[in-house]
Amino acid sequence: MHHVVLKRLGQAVFTMWIILTVLFFLFRLGLPDPTVALVSEGLSPEDRARIAARFGLDRGIFAQYFIYLRNALSGELGRSFHYNAPVAGIVGDRFLNTMALMLPAILISYLVGPLLGVLLAWKRGSRFEVGGISSALILRSAPMFWTGMLAVMVFGIWFGWFPTSGMRTFPYEAAHFFDKIFTLDFLHHLILPATVIGLYYLGLPMLIMRNTMLEVLGENFIEFCQARGMSPARIMYAHAARNALLPVITQLAITIGLAVGGQVVVEVVFSWPGLGLEMFNAVRTSDYPLAQASFMLMAAIVLMLNLIVDLIYSWLDPRVTYTAAR
Amino acid sequence: MIRRIAALAVALLLVTPAFVFAGGQAEPEGEPVQELTIYTTTESYDPIRYEAAFMIADAWQELGFQINVSPMEFSSLLQLFYDEQNFDATILGWSGRVDRLDPQHFLGTLHGEQTDLGANNPGGYENPEYDELFVAQSREFDPERRRQIVQQMQAIAADDNPVDVLFYRDEVVGYNNTKFTDFVVMAGESLYNEWTPLEVTPLTDDRMLTIGTPQEPDTINPLDSTSVWGWKFMRMYYDKLVRLSPDIEPIPYAAEEIVDVDDTTIDVVVRSGMTFHDGEAVTAEDVKFTYEYFIDNDFAYFRPFLSDIESIEVVGGDTVRFNLAEPVASFITVTLSQIPILPQHIWADIENPADLAPDEIPTVGSGPFRFDQYDRGEYKRLLTYEDHFDADRIEIDGIDYIIYADSEGVFTGLLTGEIDMTAWRMEPGQIEIAEDEEDITVVSVGDFGYYHMTYNLRRSPFDDRLVRQALSYAVDRDTIIDVLLQGLGEPGYSVVAPINAFWHNPDITRYTYDLDRSRELLEEAGYTWDSEGRIYAPN
Repeated sequence: MHHVVLKRLGQAVFTMWIILTVLFFLFRLGLPDPTVALVSEGLSPEDRARIAARFGLDRGIFAQYFIYLRNALSGELGRSFHYNAPVAGIVGDRFLNTMALMLPAILISYLVGPLLGVLLAWKRGSRFEVGGISSALILRSAPMFWTGMLAVMVFGIWFGWFPTSGMRTFPYEAAHFFDKIFTLDFLHHLILPATVIGLYYLGLPMLIMRNTMLEVLGENFIEFCQARGMSPARIMYAHAARNALLPVITQLAITIGLAVGGQVVVEVVFSWPGLGLEMFNAVRTSDYPLAQASFMLMAAIVLMLNLIVDLIYSWLDPRVTYTAAR
Repeated sequence: MIRRIAALAVALLLVTPAFVFAGGQAEPEGEPVQELTIYTTTESYDPIRYEAAFMIADAWQELGFQINVSPMEFSSLLQLFYDEQNFDATILGWSGRVDRLDPQHFLGTLHGEQTDLGANNPGGYENPEYDELFVAQSREFDPERRRQIVQQMQAIAADDNPVDVLFYRDEVVGYNNTKFTDFVVMAGESLYNEWTPLEVTPLTDDRMLTIGTPQEPDTINPLDSTSVWGWKFMRMYYDKLVRLSPDIEPIPYAAEEIVDVDDTTIDVVVRSGMTFHDGEAVTAEDVKFTYEYFIDNDFAYFRPFLSDIESIEVVGGDTVRFNLAEPVASFITVTLSQIPILPQHIWADIENPADLAPDEIPTVGSGPFRFDQYDRGEYKRLLTYEDHFDADRIEIDGIDYIIYADSEGVFTGLLTGEIDMTAWRMEPGQIEIAEDEEDITVVSVGDFGYYHMTYNLRRSPFDDRLVRQALSYAVDRDTIIDVLLQGLGEPGYSVVAPINAFWHNPDITRYTYDLDRSRELLEEAGYTWDSEGRIYAPN
């Protein structure tokens, strides 16, 4: 078992290196020179060269690459070109803000979604199933900038029930991050964007759960359960659902990983000061260090969660063993 | 058979215009003009410049050119234009920044010394006469004489037409008329100028003016900020020797008096009794220190304004004397009005100010407001500085700035009453909604920035002045403004906009839409057309 964990860890590190390399070259070759935006501020070519030198942009691309790898290893993420400030601080704040929005939205949709999915599978063929599947598909296909704007218009402007932007009312005093989010005011700001995201995410776990449930329900042990006279609810939730949960868990891990980047459109519509908004701006201003760090963070979290999920599998489903996998 | 004749007739009909168009000319001479590309922004970045490019391309095609429109992501477009100069014609713009009200910057974009890669004249226009006048105006201290030179330069530029000035876009902003009144409107700055917070009168108990903006300072380090959004914030809590009045006249502010002893010696008497927000007095030494500090740190953004200062000395206690290497026409309007006065007792010990971490950046100034709070991406707050010499006229307690992700967010803030005014222009769709709202007053101001199409004069056919003129006569400015800008703009013809009335020259060549005139000019330049209407360049 230890051996397997080490092996999986090794694979994760290797994958991370590939991602770091791709990120580095992607941004350098794909984005325009970051100092170009300064021209329209009237800076002369010499002055721009000076600024480029300050950020090490005058060195060869491979020299830059090795410095970048070395820094990534030591956790040094560099300095944002645009803000001229350490990236770690910027990304860190934004990351927490994004998580404060995404985690509640995702958790709720992954709690409610699978439960509904079980019901859909159980009531197969009924009107409830048709209605459930169609609404899941509609929610999943409706673009979030649109649902977001609708929510702003109806609940923000017409009814005036909820604030339409940001994560708190100004001015405020907050000593640290938890001061910011454990307030009623924050909750008030959270409801609209989190609902928009939650509704969007709801469909996937619901449908995955339904499909796997249908497979599981066809298996022999369900008949045995019925033969033993168990109640439908007990068979559904205690026996069938547990066996159908694996793909949902995998999906949850991936969703949380990708959620690090936030939902750019929702963050824009609600002016949520999250990482998605920052990434969007970073690409627009060719701010490599900032964009890189954001994507790095996202990749690292996806990899880590995948690793954890792999290991959780054997606990959830004892049939999955790693020694036999060879 | 009948069908065949009918088909032939139709074919003839289709061909006839081409014959008529060729106007009985002989066989075309020379080579057909190669396909030309107009580079522009993407539709999502700016639908106006995007659509304008296609309209211009259509007209040029009517003249017989083959035109390709290539929309590009904005910073790639800037790179192609400025860094590579690899274009035929490019549509871009210059923003109207207050220090550009002095004609120096915009006239400089046609200066022959700025044609290098990365510099401000990517089209490569060079005219010795123009260049000579450019130097002359920048050394001319007498405004009246300088104006004559500046106007002469505009006439030359309009005839040579290296850059087609397409239009000046109106800035349309809005404010909530139930909360505050007495807003100040300024050319190029609209409501978001340095006078509005000094002048507004509250109509309710809410004495904090709340401004909504989609832009954010890049940094609030005065030795490092290279964006207008940094400066528009900092100028409220730092003071400046001169401020430009709402009518764009330089008025002594932290200076009591400015005396030009001679062309290269300028004395500034520092106002007495001023204090920084930490209580220390503002002295002539602080002013001298600030200018020297900016020069020593060689901060690129301000270098052009400071490069002619030879030395600075304090004379008689409260007077700072600037000794210039050469007369600088824009010294008072730009140099004295752009540099914030820094407290020497705080900055003197900072060796590399550009490397300051965000939370180490000092925020002590001597301006009419003092810095209170800044949360990146969310919020900024300034409070009224009661000890400021101008504090008596300030009727508010301070300014709240709410930062939104985009202009849609700002607009929603205005509708819900979260903010009192917008710092950035509204989109056409928003303007219509705002005009229907009783609580919102919509304000429209002309801009002195401009949108332009720059021809690459290094390439044929743009190296020919007559062709450039012909191409500009084919630009339908009125339709661009009526349709694309929904009437909110002025047709362009000079790099110095009409709203910049003192410097602007109204009596120069204007290229009003006239395709016949275009064809005449092309013929005059020796261009010919083949039977299909395709244009040929002379040998």
